[in-house]
Amino acid sequence: MLFTPEQLWQSALSEIELQISRPNFLTWLKNSRLIEKKDTGEILIGLSNNFAKEWVENKYHKLIFEIIKNLDDSIKKIEYSVIGAANPSFEKISLESIDINIGQLTFPEFKVDPESGLHPKYTLDSFIVGSSNELAYAASLAIIKNVGKKYNPFFIYGGTGLGKTHLIQAIGNEIKKVYKNKIQIKYVTCEKFVNDVVNAIRNKRMEDIKNKYRNIDVLIIDDIQFIGGKERSEEEFFHTFNVLHENNKQIIISSDRPPAAIPTLHERLRSRFEGGMAADITYPDFEMRMAIIKTKLSQMQKNLPDQSIQTIASKVQRNIREIEGILNKILFYQETKGVDLQSKIIEEIISNTIHRVDKKVTPNQVIKAIANFFEVLPEDISNHSRRKKVMEPRQITMFLLREMLGMSYPDIGDKIGKRDHTTAIHAYEKIANEINKNQSLNQKILLIKDIIYESC
Amino acid sequence: MKFIVLKKNLKDGLRAIERITDQNSNLPILKNFLIESFDNKIKISATNLELAVTSYISGKIIENGSLTIPLHFFNSIINNLQTEKINLESENEKLTIKTDNYQAEIKGIKKDEFPIIPKIENEKFYLEINNSILKNSLSSIVNSTTNENKPELNGVLFDYQDTLIKLAATDTFRLSEKTIFNTQYNSNIEKKFKTIIPTKTIQEVIRGLQFEENNNTSIFFDQNQILFKNESIEIISRLINGEFPDYSQIIPKKFETEITLNNNELVNAVKLASVFSDRLNEVKIIIKENAKNIEVYSAGSNLGENKYLIPAKISGSPMEIIFNWRYLLDGIKNLTSENIFLGINNNNKPALLKASEEISWFYILMPIKS
Repeated sequence: MLFTPEQLWQSALSEIELQISRPNFLTWLKNSRLIEKKDTGEILIGLSNNFAKEWVENKYHKLIFEIIKNLDDSIKKIEYSVIGAANPSFEKISLESIDINIGQLTFPEFKVDPESGLHPKYTLDSFIVGSSNELAYAASLAIIKNVGKKYNPFFIYGGTGLGKTHLIQAIGNEIKKVYKNKIQIKYVTCEKFVNDVVNAIRNKRMEDIKNKYRNIDVLIIDDIQFIGGKERSEEEFFHTFNVLHENNKQIIISSDRPPAAIPTLHERLRSRFEGGMAADITYPDFEMRMAIIKTKLSQMQKNLPDQSIQTIASKVQRNIREIEGILNKILFYQETKGVDLQSKIIEEIISNTIHRVDKKVTPNQVIKAIANFFEVLPEDISNHSRRKKVMEPRQITMFLLREMLGMSYPDIGDKIGKRDHTTAIHAYEKIANEINKNQSLNQKILLIKDIIYESC
Repeated sequence: MKFIVLKKNLKDGLRAIERITDQNSNLPILKNFLIESFDNKIKISATNLELAVTSYISGKIIENGSLTIPLHFFNSIINNLQTEKINLESENEKLTIKTDNYQAEIKGIKKDEFPIIPKIENEKFYLEINNSILKNSLSSIVNSTTNENKPELNGVLFDYQDTLIKLAATDTFRLSEKTIFNTQYNSNIEKKFKTIIPTKTIQEVIRGLQFEENNNTSIFFDQNQILFKNESIEIISRLINGEFPDYSQIIPKKFETEITLNNNELVNAVKLASVFSDRLNEVKIIIKENAKNIEVYSAGSNLGENKYLIPAKISGSPMEIIFNWRYLLDGIKNLTSENIFLGINNNNKPALLKASEEISWFYILMPIKS
């Protein structure tokens, strides 16, 4: 009869159990397992600690060898080693110690699990699903069920503060929970990866990198766009990627833009990123923002009137992280002043937080940035040419003047070549409509905004 | 086995191993300890399968042999004997204790049943360090460990670098770090490494080194074990699997307020404050604008309040911050220098405590939320 190595050791154990006393069996052979079976007829048994190793080697070896030989006569030799023993659990936490530490702050950095780098606060339960991220969420669930086999690599992209980090860390945490630490996970930010590579080069220890990143089952890398242009890191990542991918290890990557839009990324990496599943996270709609605010409030165990929640949800549209910041501010006001806030004050807080940057932008900066982006002359945008090459930039200009600067339609028309205000309305509505359907347009507009903010 | 031993020597030996036996194990023999006599030495050992302690006792050996005996039972007999000399003799599985006017026979179990104490794979590479330096270094950080649910924090980080060793421990509320420089030890270990030594092992080492301040101890490592060895004692223990948190990022580099003050005064102030502090153990440190002293304040809702002024050199902004006085005292009591440096940032960032003239030790403490 042929056994798999695990079955072989299991059946040997059940025979050994009959021959030695129960305390002895539990003490010495509990948590033992077969680590390796070589073709040469050698097997390696892992035991829980050095005491067990000494004991089994000296007292039970003959017995074990006979039993194993009976089960499988190709075995010629048995070796023992100590496996990373399950560390003793510390379940007894006295009530007293909890009492003492009310309000005692802890080092916040230590909450991160040092082995996987995951922060436990990111869970799937606290991730709010809506139309803007349901594809990414569904793919995540499929990955958790089928690690490494379903969508590999999994590439998530979307603007800042929309929950990419939350989702990819939550996948990690969920995998850890479901598979009870049987799957090794590593979460790193791109910066950390680059630093590791730089350190390894400096200390001439490239094998450290290989050990660290190639012996895991799930690799999660955040903000991969920063790897573009860092030659050596890119190369190292490329090889790591190949090794993991070949061995069906799951790779999860996040970025603020799709692979095709990362400048200076090598073609070979780009095509690999696109080879699995790419899902985007876009801006949440009103109902979803409401749900997010309510969940955040219940996490903080705080309350706000519905009216205020609606105000926040309708004003803060683009960035969920900002919602958190604004909520904190509002709650702080509420606690220190001790009264319910009127929506006017809330609006003030919000506009102080998010419109800070916009005030500095001038219409000319917007026009210049767009002209630069599309490689046309600023004059082309305001003249009356109807060539397709300048039509799109012109419409985007009008859209952004309205959206970022809140200019009136007549003013916009006036600024862009003395046009009628209806032209401006048409342009604004057209782009606003298109942006929801056309991902590449959305991406372009995000990039333009970045450029504008950088220039001022 | 047959030998004569002085009661004092026997008791010292037993003290080194008495906490190791495992009273709740599946395996009853772990309640026992092993006595062996050979080569003019008496050797006693105990283990709980995580660590094993072996202690050597001097005595007059008449016959070589060995036996295991229930430790607590044996201990209570020895503790109550009045005479100086004790005769011990074993036959089959029985041990006879005999003095001038007393005789007892106790049942033991033969040595074959006792766990075999593991050895270190390779004893070629080791480091040697003076007992009192080792003991003081370990004592200065062991308070900060925790036995809560995180195995990697239930131990002390041993970070062996090129020219120094760093020891660190934390329970996530506070962290202490001690540096031992290579002028204080000899070592032929060339490779840098990091490992975590269980708290219980550290405590046993500290206890075991208590009486022999001037001798040296050698420390050996293999992949998953550590061995402390000197003339009178050997402690071998498993190491903890896991990664100690990277704490370099939490060490504050700048402070909003820096205070230098007298060690004894601060100890006094904190102790007095502790009298008033209630269940939450809070003590508040208040630094006023342009003050020449700091105020240590505490209040208990049913007791009243008190404050203690300590003259101090202060630079930086005024500040009010609350600490758990136990944690604060745990830190201060490791300092022997006359003056202490305390650096504070704000109500939710870690504070740093160290000697003002010395750099080998520091303590980081998180405040209590106000």
